[in-house]
Formats: sequence, C-alpha cells, structure tokens
Amino acid sequence: MTKLFQSLGDWFDDRAGVRKLIHESLYEPIPGGARWRYVWGSTLVMAFVTQLVTGIFLWMAYSPSTQTAWESVFYIQYEMNGGWLLRGIHHFMAQAMVVLLAIHFLQVVWDGAYRAPRELNFILGLILMLIVLGLALTGYLLPWDQKGYWATSVGTNLASQAPVVGPDVKKLAVGGSEYGHQTLTRFFALHAGVLPGALMAFLVLHIALFRRHGLHARKPDHKLDSMFWPDQVLKDSIAALAVLTVVLGLTIYFRGAELTAPADPANPYDAARPEWYFLFLFQFLKWFPGELEVWGAFIIPGLIMAVLFVMPWIGRTRTGHLINIALLCLLLGGAAALTAQAIHEDYFAAWNSKEDILKADDPVLAARYEASERFLNAKTEAHREAERVIELAESPQRIPPTGALSMMYDDPLLQGPKLFAQNCASCHNFVDPSKPAEEQPHAIVNAKPTAPNLFGVGSEAWALGILNPEKIASAHYFGYEGSPFVDGEMATYVTDTFGADISDEQKAKAKEAFAKIAEALEAEAALPTGPKLNEERKNRIAEGRALMTGGLSEMLDSGMSCTDCHKFHDTGDLGSAPDLTGYMSREWLLAFVRNPAGERFYGDNNDRMPAFGPHDNPQLNQLDDKSLGLIVDWLRGDWVRVSEPVEAE
Amino acid sequence: MSNTPDQPPPSLVKIPPTESATRRSFFAITAAVVAGSIAVLTPIGVGLAAFLTPLFRKSKSPEVRIALLDQVPDDGMPRYFPVVADREDAWTRYPAQRVGAVYLIRLAGEEKPTAFTAKCPHAGCFIGYTPGAKVFQCPCHTSAFNLDGSRVNGDAEVAPRGMDALPVSIRQAKTGDGNTIAEVWVEFIDFQTGHKEKIPTA
Repeated sequence: MTKLFQSLGDWFDDRAGVRKLIHESLYEPIPGGARWRYVWGSTLVMAFVTQLVTGIFLWMAYSPSTQTAWESVFYIQYEMNGGWLLRGIHHFMAQAMVVLLAIHFLQVVWDGAYRAPRELNFILGLILMLIVLGLALTGYLLPWDQKGYWATSVGTNLASQAPVVGPDVKKLAVGGSEYGHQTLTRFFALHAGVLPGALMAFLVLHIALFRRHGLHARKPDHKLDSMFWPDQVLKDSIAALAVLTVVLGLTIYFRGAELTAPADPANPYDAARPEWYFLFLFQFLKWFPGELEVWGAFIIPGLIMAVLFVMPWIGRTRTGHLINIALLCLLLGGAAALTAQAIHEDYFAAWNSKEDILKADDPVLAARYEASERFLNAKTEAHREAERVIELAESPQRIPPTGALSMMYDDPLLQGPKLFAQNCASCHNFVDPSKPAEEQPHAIVNAKPTAPNLFGVGSEAWALGILNPEKIASAHYFGYEGSPFVDGEMATYVTDTFGADISDEQKAKAKEAFAKIAEALEAEAALPTGPKLNEERKNRIAEGRALMTGGLSEMLDSGMSCTDCHKFHDTGDLGSAPDLTGYMSREWLLAFVRNPAGERFYGDNNDRMPAFGPHDNPQLNQLDDKSLGLIVDWLRGDWVRVSEPVEAE
Repeated sequence: MSNTPDQPPPSLVKIPPTESATRRSFFAITAAVVAGSIAVLTPIGVGLAAFLTPLFRKSKSPEVRIALLDQVPDDGMPRYFPVVADREDAWTRYPAQRVGAVYLIRLAGEEKPTAFTAKCPHAGCFIGYTPGAKVFQCPCHTSAFNLDGSRVNGDAEVAPRGMDALPVSIRQAKTGDGNTIAEVWVEFIDFQTGHKEKIPTA
C-alpha cells in the first residue's frame, strides 16, 4: 500500500514538480524562531479564505434584484439550516478582517518592515487594504435593507461629487441615475467577482514577494532559527482559531447579522450610518460644509493615502521612520476620536436626560439632543418594521412575487399609523384611555383634539363609552374642543338617562340595557378582535337589538330608543343621526371617511371632518382607495396576525 | 515525453538565431501583438460597451399630480406629499410608485404653492419636517433649512445649496358633477447632490 502511494507520488511529482513546491512553501527559515508576533499576516489569509468559503455558500442562495435580494437574504437568515450562522460568520469575519488589517499594517510600519527591499510589497499591502475596504463597502448594500440602502446611497452620492468624472462614475456604479436592479447586479459582480479576483491576484504577489525577501525578523537574536513548518504554522493555526472563536462568539451573541426592513426608496431611514469602521469618515465629512466637502471626501483622504504609499521612502532615515510612526498614531487616534464623537452624537439622547438638556438652555445641546432622538426613534421604528415584515414573510401567506416591499405597503399595521398621522392626527387621537399615554409606544397623541379619540372604534368598550354620561362628555368622545355634539341630543339623552332624579334601580336597569346594546353594536362592527360568539352572547346581542329598536323606550323616562333618531336595519330613518346598520364595519367606516356629511352619516350636522373620498374618480380624492382601506383596517385592528395564535372556532 | 533531469526546462532552451530571422521576427512580433491584442481586447470592448449603457440612457422627469389645491391652505406651513409616478427600473415597470416626496408651502394670498423636493441637496437623504417647526432638518448630516428653502447657516451649512424648488403648475380637473377642481402638478426633477448649482441627473 505504502509502495503504491509512493509510486503515485513519484508519478505526480515527475509531471508537476509538486514536492519541490510544497517543500519551498513549508520549509521557509524563520530567523530567531517562530513567534506569536508573526501570526497577523496568516490570520488575514485565513480570514479571507473564510470569506471565500462562506461567500460562495451565500452566493448559492443569494439573488440580486430589487424584488429578490432582501427576500433571498431573509430566506438565508430565517429559513435555511444555520443560514444565520453562515451569514453571521461572513458579516463578523469581514469586520475582523478590517481589525486584523489595521494590526498587520501597524506592525509593519512600527517594525520598519517597509524598508528596502520591501517597499514594493508594502505598496501591494496597501492595495490589498483598499480592495478589502471596497469589499466591505459593496457587501453592505447587498441585503437591500433600509440600513444598507440608505448608507450606501449616501456613499455613492458623495462619489458623484468627485471633480469632473464624479457624476459618470456614480451612474456607472449605480447602473443608472437611480438605485435599482442594476445597482445590485453591479455591486454583486464587484463584491463576488472583480474584487475577490483582484484580491487573490495581489495576495499571490504579496506572498511571493514576502517569500522572496524572507520574513522581516524583529530581533534575530538569542533563539535558534526554525522552519515555518511546523513551528510557525502551529502558532498561526492557533491564532486563526482564536480569530474564528471571536467571530463565532460575536455571531452567536448578536444572533447573526442584522437584517432591517426591505429598502424603500420612498421612505428614508433616518438612522442610515455606515459600518463602524467607516464612521470616522462619516463624522469627518461633517466638518466640511457646502462645496468644501470635496476636501473632506476626496482631497484630504487622497493626500493621506498618498502619504501612506510613500511611507517606505519617508522611513529611509531614522527620523523619517519616527515621523511615519507619529503620523500613523495621529491618524489612528484621529479616527478613533471621530468614531467616538459620531457614536456620542448618535446616542446623546440615550445617555442624557431631556430635563438636564432643557435646563442647560443651550440651543446647540438642544439641537444635538433632538438629532439624536430622531436617530434613536428611527432605529426603533426600523426594528419594529423589520420584525413585522419578517413575521409576515414567515407566515403562511409568504412573500408575494412583487416582493417584500409591496407586502409592507399592503399591511395595515405598518401603514395605518403613518397614514393616520398624516391625514387624521391633526384632529383625532389614537390613545388607549385606560392607560397613561407614556406607556403606549404606538399611541398617536394630539394634545388638543378637535374630534373623538379613535382608539378601539367599534369595540364593545368603545360603544359603552358613548353610552356613559361621563365618558361621552369627555375629550375622548364628544367633549373635544369646539364640539357641537357635547350639548347635542345624543349626549343629553345619555346624561338624562343617568340624571340626578333617576332612581338607582332605574339606573342599574339602564346600565344593564346599555351593556347589551354595546354588545349588539360590536356585533355590527364584526371586528376581527371581537370576542367569540357563544349562545349566551348571541342571546344578549338579540336582546340588545330589541332594546335599540323600541325596547328602550318602554324602559326609560325619555321614552326614546336608538331608532327614534338612528336607522338600524329595517327600523328608523336616515337623516337625523348616523345609520347604525353595520356600525363601524369595514364598509360603514370606508363610506363614512369618504363622505361623513352624507345622508347616511352626519348630513348637515357634520362637524369639521372633511370628505376624504367623495368622488368616483380616485384621482380627485384626497385619499386613494388603498390608503382609505389601510386606515380603516388599521383602526379596526384588521391585519394578519401571526404571533398571537388565533383560536379555532 | 517526460523530461529527464539532464534536460533543461523548455523555457531555457536556446534556439540559435539564423540569418533571415531579424527581418522575419519584426513581422512575427507585429503580427503576434496585433492578433493577440484583437483577441483579448474584443471581448473587453464588447463587455465595456454593455457596462457603459447607463451613460447613454436619458430619463425624462415626470410631471406628477401631487395634491388638490385645497389640501394646501395658504398658511405658510409646509405639507408633506408623496410623489407617485410610474417608475421603470431596468426591466421592471412599477405603476404608481412613490418615487420621492415634496413639501408644498403656500404663503398667505398666494395662488400657487412652492414645491421643494424632500431630497437633501447635500447627500440625498430625506429632509424631515415636524409640523409647527420653523425649519426643515436633514437627519443625516444635520443640515437645516428655513421654510423658504434657504440654508439656516448659509455657507456654513453642510448642504452646498438650499432645498431644490420644483416647477409647479395648477391644473383644473373636472369632477363627476361637472364642477372643476384645482390640482397641484409638479415636474419632478432629480438634481445632483453636492454641488452649488442645481444640475439635473437625467
């Protein structure tokens, strides 16, 4: 058996000369013996190989187009076996690579390892660094989520400011004047093809030159020389394992790389920030107002790069070498300071209390607080959106062929609050009155409402509020500023029913009757969140209906039932009060918002509510049909529910 | 066919030059360079031609109906409206997409509102506005603009120019009952960011 391998090996070596190659690559002498300080270059190679391997497997699942990029990354992250781990390793190893690069670079400069004859290899190293940064930049966009989209679009907009060629370069990178399919295909080709190819080519040259000049030994003294194999390889492997451990640790700690909501060109992400290692550049740009930006974005970074490239020549003398080290410390210190400043500005609101800032009465601090608050709010909102989209994508209805963004646009839970804030919140509130507003993150608060609070419209509790003398006169119902209804017939009817001259026994009876009516009204609304119908409830609803259509008049002193003013199914007439047939059902609410002054609703008694969709031609309406539907569905709590299991009927 | 150890590798084999070689080698070299270059450059050229496509595409700025004039009272307050237009992205046509946003502001007594695109002239982020505030604010690099679109800090602002105003026109549309209703239309031009001048991207 051994003999067979031996002769096979001979045959192969005879034709390919592999033994010499292997020998050459493994038996490199290391002056002064293997040392831990020599591991950094090798860990970088290992990091790159990790990126190649994980990248290729990600490639097998990734699909670059605006309807599939986020969607395929979602699939990798949430559905494939260990997909989150694969993507997480790729994500965090990329960051590790940047750190390792910095260490490697620092060490080379510190040790003066760039001196003749190694200048050329130093330059190759700098080119490799630029390629790695290019990989980081292009990779950030590929998930096509809000974070990557907006951060990268800021980056490419900056590129368009480059003198002369800027706009054309941007057009070529983006594949047009706007972000789209071609941006993804181009960035992906750069990220998975052009840049890794270039990196490999330059890496081969870098290592070949490194071997040609031999290792730059720091102090080839006391210890004996040793060979690369196995002494240094052992140390390198242990270091590689340590790097991998850190990356795995980060991946598990953060549960993989983040995936924010799908990129939405129409909805800016106010927390768009580059990856942390580019934050210093982001912060640096703030120093260059207006047209001076070219200095911050191109000229100064370009000059710094130029200085880095000539470092080997500056460092030929001892003074020059010290200058290089000082320069590098200055650059790294500056970058660290800028990064810290960027983070401090962004999290200013989280680390300072609003009262203290207001007390300081400093407009600069106040502006900083406000900006930071916006950043933090945008982040929270983006998290909420991402969670919801992922919840929908995981639900049995999955992602439609038009992509996850269209799914977001069709979701009442996501769009409802935005549309409500834009179109309704200047008059209406949306706050649960039973809890303090501060405890409701999703409440939409209007301090001076000029219309009823719409939280829980159509529910039993909401209907009970109208039939409660204190509540109907409160700002949540008809007690808002300038309301014509607070002294109207409805409020008077409810107040009189529980008036001072009414006996307690009578009041209790009325309360019981109103409770049944509230249940009957909720049945009209048919809210998806309504309680389950059982025999007992059905009976109460039937009793409520009978009370509305005449039963009340026999019971109350006023001698009036609901249908004396309202229409309810076949009883009563339209004209004096809103129709209670299908009250707060989807159809009812839609028709109401379209034209509240219609005969079926408030008619001439309508307060200030505008008609949002009175015309048949949707072009002429303030709100299109889809937006109307989204607002109504959201108010009625009618959206796809995944996390709360729906009980079977 | 295998090399025996005493044979030098092929690259080191010397061929003695002959008399006619000088003249012939000039043609050989020229032909080799030309033929080789054509063989290599043709695919590169074809690839580049395809790659440069975006530089030759011209897009037109759409005229977009933004709102009814009634939705913009002449109280000088900015109002935010999404810009909905058909959008083409390479092979996909998206009907009625939000392609951006504008702020419409009508001062007291003005017939026609002013329209500002929400895209920041600095780096293209969306400029925000909190109802009631006296300034527009960009979340990215903290540029601030007055309600007339000018920069709060003038040339000390990060943004190189004020907010971009868009051409506005008022059109009359017929309602179902035979009346007319005034609509605000805007030519939605996309401008290059980062320059002092307004240069359309298309």
